[in-house]
Order: sequence, then C-alpha cells, then structure tokens
Amino acid sequence: MEDRNSKGRIIKEAFPSEIVSIIGDILAGVVLTVLILPFQSFILLILIIPALLSLRGNLSGPYIARTSRDFIIGEFNKNSLIQNVLATYSLAIITGFVIGSLSLLLNVFLIKLDLIPWYFILLIPVISICLTLSFSIPCSTMLNYIAFKNGLDPNNVVSPIMTAIDDFLTVICFFLTLVLMGVP
Amino acid sequence: MEYFKKIFKESLIVVILSSIMGIFSGTFLAENDEVLYSFPIILLLLPSLNSLIGDISTILTSRLTSHLYIGTIPPKIKKSDKLVQDFYGLLITLILSIFALIIIGYSVGLITAVEIVNPFLIILLIIITIMILFAIMFIFLFISSILLFKLGKDPNNYLIPITTSLLDFLTPLTLILLLQIFI
Repeated sequence: MEDRNSKGRIIKEAFPSEIVSIIGDILAGVVLTVLILPFQSFILLILIIPALLSLRGNLSGPYIARTSRDFIIGEFNKNSLIQNVLATYSLAIITGFVIGSLSLLLNVFLIKLDLIPWYFILLIPVISICLTLSFSIPCSTMLNYIAFKNGLDPNNVVSPIMTAIDDFLTVICFFLTLVLMGVP
Repeated sequence: MEYFKKIFKESLIVVILSSIMGIFSGTFLAENDEVLYSFPIILLLLPSLNSLIGDISTILTSRLTSHLYIGTIPPKIKKSDKLVQDFYGLLITLILSIFALIIIGYSVGLITAVEIVNPFLIILLIIITIMILFAIMFIFLFISSILLFKLGKDPNNYLIPITTSLLDFLTPLTLILLLQIFI
C-alpha cells in the first residue's frame, strides 16, 4: 500500500481535486460576471466581492483543516463538531461586520454611491457569509467523512474541491442576498 | 467549550486582518482596471490562479500541521524526508495544475470570445508568478508552522487565513507588476 505521505499519493489525490477546483473557479468567474455585473451598484459590490471570496481561506479552509485533523488524530466527535461549527459561525458574523464596515467607509470617502442604504452595506456581507456557510459546512463535513472512510487523506482531497464549491456558493449566495434585499 | 474558545481566540485577529486584506485586494484590482481590461484573459483566470496557489498553500499547511500533531515531522527547522516528499508532491501537482488551468482557461476564453492578447508572454508570466509565490510560501509556511506549533498554537487557525488572503492580494500584484515590466 502506498504511504499516506508519499509524493505520488499527494499528486494522485490532490491533482484531480485541483482540476475540479480550476473548472469550478473559472465557471464561478463567468457566473460572477453574468449575475453581478448588471447591478447598478456594481462599483460598490466589487469592493465587497474579493473579501467575500477570501471567505474560503478565512473560515471554510480552517474549518475543513480542523475537521480533517480531528478525523486523522481520532478526535472527531459530536462535541468537537458542534464547537467547531459554532466558532466558525461566530467568526463569520464578525468577519461580515468588518467587511461591511470597511465597505461603508470606502463608500463614504471614496466611491460616494448613494444607491444603497448604509445599513444594507453592513448587512449584505453578514447575510451572504452566513448563507454560504449554511451550505458549505454540511457539505465539507460530509466530504471529509467520505474521504476519510474511503482511506483518502482528507487534507489532499477536500480543500481543493471545497474551494470550487465555496467560490460558487459565495457568488450565488451573494447574488441571492442582493435580490432578497432588493439592491439595485 | 474549550475547543470553541481555542478556535475563536486563535482565529479572531487573523480573520479580521484577512478581511481587511480582502478589501485592499478589491481596491487594488479596481485601481488597476486598465491593465486588467487590456488583457481580459487575466480577469478570467485570476479567480482560479488565486485559488490554485491558495489551495496548494492550504494543503501544505494542513499536512504540516497533521505531521506535527502525529509526530512524523519533528518541530525543528530542518530538512526531513516527509518534508521533501511534500515539497515534490505539491510542486508536481502545482505544475500539472497550471497547465490544466491554462488549457481550460484559454478554451473557455475562446468559447466566450474573450480577446486573447500576446498569449505566450501571458502564459510565461502566469507560470513565473505562481512559481515565485510557491517558493516564498513553502519556506514561510514551513518555518511558521514549526514556530506556532512550538508555541502551543494550531498552525491551521493562523496560517490558512493569512496565506489565502495574502495570496489573493499577492497573486494579482505580482502578475500586474510582471506585466508592467515586460509589456
């Protein structure tokens, strides 16, 4: 059996996941252009989008890595999962408010766009991130479990696949948030 | 709730800093829209370039963390067999992925009728950008993981958010700088 840490195994497990990630991200870019670009307030939304897309690294990435590690070292259980999820949501709400506040400041001093009420700018990232995580967390936990149970190293497989899924979810949930809030 | 507190305490500052960096990244891209609009294929490829180098760094961090926790890499800054295996494994994965990204990206570009300007130079600059960032990130992540682990911290909580956000900023920055030098 091939060693879990051999370079051959890293390539075999990580490369197919990367292909999925690349396809997903290229399509996410296309979807982003088609869905978000037509908004009148696009110049303001473009400030928020890179910060939202970095969600995968700020919140989802560490969540996936912690879950993978818990599986590998045999410490995955209901209690660790609940605390991991709660911590991720708490951090998500704070992250959303930070992104919203900075965007609000940039809008006041730089962009000066008055199409959106100020509290919308604060709320859009919070709602969008929480919505994204509500799909992303069950999905990545399930993928980690499936990868581990099938003898794959979750570290190699889950992160790249979830990058594509998370980027897609981020764009779609951002769009849904804008539609739900009636952003022009 | 010890696990919750540990995650929250170790992640909070990093997450806030990463969000600020994300906003900077948006502002930087907006300020360089002329360069990006001159080479629209870069706009198409940029999200996947960001996530490719981000994914490789995330895999490296989570592998190093797992190695450190289960003791297969000693918490010392020195070369080891596992580290060499990880380096070559990730480097080969990265090279294969760059070629896949270029093929898929340019195919989508052709299908969606995106203007393709100076393709060979752009491809070369993309490869140079990713290789420079990989070299920097490998050294940075290895040393940082060891130091954080020695301090009793979980490297996953600190390094993944920092490197992903840093790379979301550094990838377009390096690529745009190289573009301005060579074109």
